[in-house]
Amino acid sequence: MSQFEIEFTFDGKAIPAIIGQSVGAALLATNQRSLRKTRFNKNKRGIFCGIGVCFDCLVVVDGVTNQRACIIEAKPGMKVQTQDGSNA
Amino acid sequence: MHNVVVVGGGPAGLSAALAAAAAGAPVLLIDSNSRLGGQYWRNSSDNFDDQHEQHFDLETGLLLINAVKARKEIEVWSEAQIWSATNNEGKFTLRIIYQGKEKIVNTANIILCTGAYDRTLPFPGWDIPGVMTPGGVQSLLKGHGVLAGKRVVVAGTGPFLLPVAAGVIKAGGEVVSLLEANKSRRWLTSFNVILENLGKLKEAFYYIKTISEGKVRAKFGYAVITAHAGSNGELESVDIAKIDRNFNVKKLKNIKCDVAAIGWGFTADTSLAGSLGCKQVVAKDESVIVWVDNDQQTSISGIFAAGEITGIGGSELSMAEGVIAGIAAAKFVGCKVEVLKAHRKRRAKRQRFANALIKAYPVKSGWQSWLNDQTTVCRCEEVSLGDLKYSVEELGATDSRTAKLFTRCGMGLCQGRICGRSVVDLVANELKLLPTDTDRISAVNRPIITPIPLGVLAQGE
Repeated sequence: MSQFEIEFTFDGKAIPAIIGQSVGAALLATNQRSLRKTRFNKNKRGIFCGIGVCFDCLVVVDGVTNQRACIIEAKPGMKVQTQDGSNA
Repeated sequence: MHNVVVVGGGPAGLSAALAAAAAGAPVLLIDSNSRLGGQYWRNSSDNFDDQHEQHFDLETGLLLINAVKARKEIEVWSEAQIWSATNNEGKFTLRIIYQGKEKIVNTANIILCTGAYDRTLPFPGWDIPGVMTPGGVQSLLKGHGVLAGKRVVVAGTGPFLLPVAAGVIKAGGEVVSLLEANKSRRWLTSFNVILENLGKLKEAFYYIKTISEGKVRAKFGYAVITAHAGSNGELESVDIAKIDRNFNVKKLKNIKCDVAAIGWGFTADTSLAGSLGCKQVVAKDESVIVWVDNDQQTSISGIFAAGEITGIGGSELSMAEGVIAGIAAAKFVGCKVEVLKAHRKRRAKRQRFANALIKAYPVKSGWQSWLNDQTTVCRCEEVSLGDLKYSVEELGATDSRTAKLFTRCGMGLCQGRICGRSVVDLVANELKLLPTDTDRISAVNRPIITPIPLGVLAQGE
């Protein structure tokens, strides 16, 4: 790991990230395209607008729901999880 | 109390802040991003590889950003979210989440430079992971150094598709298809407009060169009309269609890809202006924009606006408008300064170019025929076209506002930013009517500008 690299977890799995990178970008770099399941139809969703407008890339970060993966910065040791359902 | 409050750190906001500060006004610049530059000059931290290859002109952006940072008259709040704005007879109050706390800013002078985001159209499969906006693909590249996928389809309409396709190629991705829905090369006929904006042509050629070096040929009169998921529920392929001038489908073909970047121009983010009561109008491209006078002043004295929220026109027009807004706002707070004729001339020249582009890249109503009753329209609340039709045909909704109340369409976390504009068109079509300006403007009004956790408010100042 270079001095610019950090690590967080997604559903328990270690994910590398560069300092300053968003959680969503780091996940996409590891080919993780699905980030949540919708409330009613349980469809998979991932990054769509990429700039914090659409609220579709929601994940749970350190127990807090509804965090936008595309804009939240990856921090060392962060526990990120797939958000299942409830997002309102 | 700050004399001038600028909202937004993109081309318009940076230019406005600098112009106001140069005229002697103390400025507070509020930006929601972690780094100044807006979407156009979105840049990553210095930890990433060379960022310049993802930009045609990062130099201008860095010049403005560094100038803003160097000016002691300008205070910058980054990662600051304005969640509420009120207007009490010329005294404006902004409520902002900044550094984990609520801050309240009172001012008599605001310059709104809140920008725009990709316009999207709903179509079957547009909610599958892997379907993205071109702006999203570009933001991942420019801001985070990440290529969204290996095999990328870039589609929709407008000149913005070019830098996105070029960016994918520069980052080592394959653009399997670059599809422009419009056939028109009408802008070529506006010869004098091009001659006076040669810089823009240079920018276009820069992207076209990269695209042709990547062995990609753009196809005109084509669109992505369906996206298909594989067994893992993620994007596997798209149906591309040859379309007529009105966007009706003529011929279909399926191609494999892992990302589809699809955008239909831009939608201005006028939420903040709307909250403050600034007059909004419907532009030629049917987007709702903020009305401004010759000095970039809105219908409310003391509130100015510049950049994409006053009409989609690109970074150079935004900068020209920002300078005028900055000078006019400084004058408003008592600085001895005047907007020069040269400033207005520069703005007019760039406005003519923007007008030519809007004319060349329309979004035609045939897109509605790509949807079926099962197609998701509101991504947040999972409302389908069938649900919307039911609200009109069975429940008797007579406008998009009522249809929204019946279905919750546009009432999710994005507050209709993504589907609102399309819902107005779809409901009007169901009613066999044309959308009115009132329909369009009411679809963009939001009581809360950005959803925030209530806990933060409890710790406010």
